[in-house]
Amino acid sequence: MSHSSSKREMSARARWQAWLPKLVLAPSLALVLFFVYGFILWTSYISFSASDMLPNYTWVGTHQWSRLWGSWTWGIALHNIWVFSLLYIVSCTLLGLLLAILLDQRIRAEGLLRTIYLYPMALSFIVTGTAWQWFLNPGLGLEKTMHELGWTSFSFDWLINADMAIYTVVIAAVWQATGFVMAMFLAGLRGIDGEMIKAAQIDGAPVWKIYLRIIIPQLRPVFLSAVVVLAHLAIKSFDLIVAMTGGGPGNATTVPATFMYSYAFSRNEMGIAAASAVFMLAVIAALIVPYLYSELRGPRS
Amino acid sequence: MSFLHIDNVKKRFGDTTVLKGIDITIEKGDFLVLVGPSGCGKSTLLNMIAGLDSISEGELRLNGEVISHVHPSQRDIAMVFQSYALYPSMTVAGNIGFGLEMRKVPKPEREKAIKNVAQMLQIESLLDRKPAQLSGGQRQRVAMGRALVREPQLFLFDEPLSNLDAKLRVDMRTEIKQLHQRLKATIVYVTHDQIEAMTLATRIAVMRGGELQQLGTPHDVYDDPNNLFVAGFMGSPSMNLIEARIEKDGEELVAWVETADDRLKLPVVRDREALGAYAGRRVILGLRPEAITDSRSANHQDGIIYEAALNVEIIEPTGADLYVVTMLGGREVNARMRSGTAVEVGQSAPFAFDVARMVAFDPESEARIR
Repeated sequence: MSHSSSKREMSARARWQAWLPKLVLAPSLALVLFFVYGFILWTSYISFSASDMLPNYTWVGTHQWSRLWGSWTWGIALHNIWVFSLLYIVSCTLLGLLLAILLDQRIRAEGLLRTIYLYPMALSFIVTGTAWQWFLNPGLGLEKTMHELGWTSFSFDWLINADMAIYTVVIAAVWQATGFVMAMFLAGLRGIDGEMIKAAQIDGAPVWKIYLRIIIPQLRPVFLSAVVVLAHLAIKSFDLIVAMTGGGPGNATTVPATFMYSYAFSRNEMGIAAASAVFMLAVIAALIVPYLYSELRGPRS
Repeated sequence: MSFLHIDNVKKRFGDTTVLKGIDITIEKGDFLVLVGPSGCGKSTLLNMIAGLDSISEGELRLNGEVISHVHPSQRDIAMVFQSYALYPSMTVAGNIGFGLEMRKVPKPEREKAIKNVAQMLQIESLLDRKPAQLSGGQRQRVAMGRALVREPQLFLFDEPLSNLDAKLRVDMRTEIKQLHQRLKATIVYVTHDQIEAMTLATRIAVMRGGELQQLGTPHDVYDDPNNLFVAGFMGSPSMNLIEARIEKDGEELVAWVETADDRLKLPVVRDREALGAYAGRRVILGLRPEAITDSRSANHQDGIIYEAALNVEIIEPTGADLYVVTMLGGREVNARMRSGTAVEVGQSAPFAFDVARMVAFDPESEARIR
């Protein structure tokens, strides 16, 4: 009798042990499901509704989506994000690789230089944007300093020039992320077998050919990781642009994220804003999902 | 006229001297093996011959030309690395042909050379594969092909077999030896494995702590070691080192060795003049395991055999031989007897000493007495 009751006790304890982790994880799982995935579904629904200033659940089909694609500003925003992303990813990758190669030449102050290059990554986009906005503002920063130093013909007004403003955003963003990309490439370079470089020297390859033919081809996984990280940073560049240019002058630096923000909160067009948000999510998913799939699948045999 | 001349070469890193003046000369077609424990400077010396490490002092001459400060690619050498150092982004053919490509050899000529080498090393079927798709032994062959295709004056091998499993290592060793004999190539080969050194070399350079201990043929190094280190390092199982006392016995010179319960008298026949000065002093005798055996296996024709009955401590049959351990001068001594010799642990058995092969060392300086 007592034997069987202790057995029942044991099995109850085992059941408790099995349930405990699930119980502990359940609240956060519920919160994530509701606030992340729930709102994704809600936003998707809103993009097919007649919402304007407030949510309105009347189904209007693809009306908001065709208004989005007919919008002149949305066209500019897509063009801008394309120009920005391309320049940002390419510049960061090339500059980061170049800095990493230079740092890899066994120079003396490597640790210090690495830290200096890496520090901008510790700043938030808001800080970077504000600092660069001051620096490039013709009335406050570089141009004014040059004028005060006596170089009165100096002019650098890209920040307030509608044709050039997007490039100032690129400069600030590249300044911030290059050090991080450099660190990734530096780690990759350090993993390369030194004997291989010796072999190439004996084979008579000049230094630039050793890099081009032997070392850089081996950094392919680093290139992939760098591009994926930079691509999603580019799409998240909202706060940098808000701090630096506010999307202006005019619509010159509008990107999909600032477009969505202004349509949702200042133009009372919640339906269009929701459609643009869903579109951005789809683009990011198209980038990230294949990458996560290839990373999580584990090493190929 | 020597082919490769290493003339008082030194290497310093800051205050530490890694190589303390190495002098080695070899002829064309020689197979020089640099052997020694890790940290002895053998790989540094090889890298200096290749031009991958700078020379602090001294001179290197290859075929009459001073190459001490010539760029590695201009030295007319090729090197096989321990990690093989294949270029992972290129095919096997690309790897083998890379050196020729960098030297601007025209494509048809290059392809012919790659094909010839691939044929010689039996890797023709692998030419289109990437290094990642190859086994260890195949990578080793590609690494050798990359060196062979350039037909250099001098081949350098840096522990090329140490990443292979035991069976493959023996096979590749034979193959390297065959290649050397067929191509009449001049080779400098680094290893820490004394068996590899013995089987491959025409000349062995034993190194320790940045100093050359002995340079000679495998036979010299094995039977005529310069000092205690060389005696203990070369050969497996290693040479028996036995404490003894030299004494004059009338006209004769003898070595007294303490056994478990008595003393053993061994006549001195080798290096008698030098050992005469050690009369009344302690020395360390060196005897290879095969120089202590049973009386039937002993070399009665060329050797001078002296028999004694000693207590058997341990027996270790290896199949081919029977190793019998006894105690001499307070240390275990290995005797190599014919398999099937009737000895029993704890019993006395006859041991035949070939005193013609016995060498002696000074216990203080560790140098050979001769």
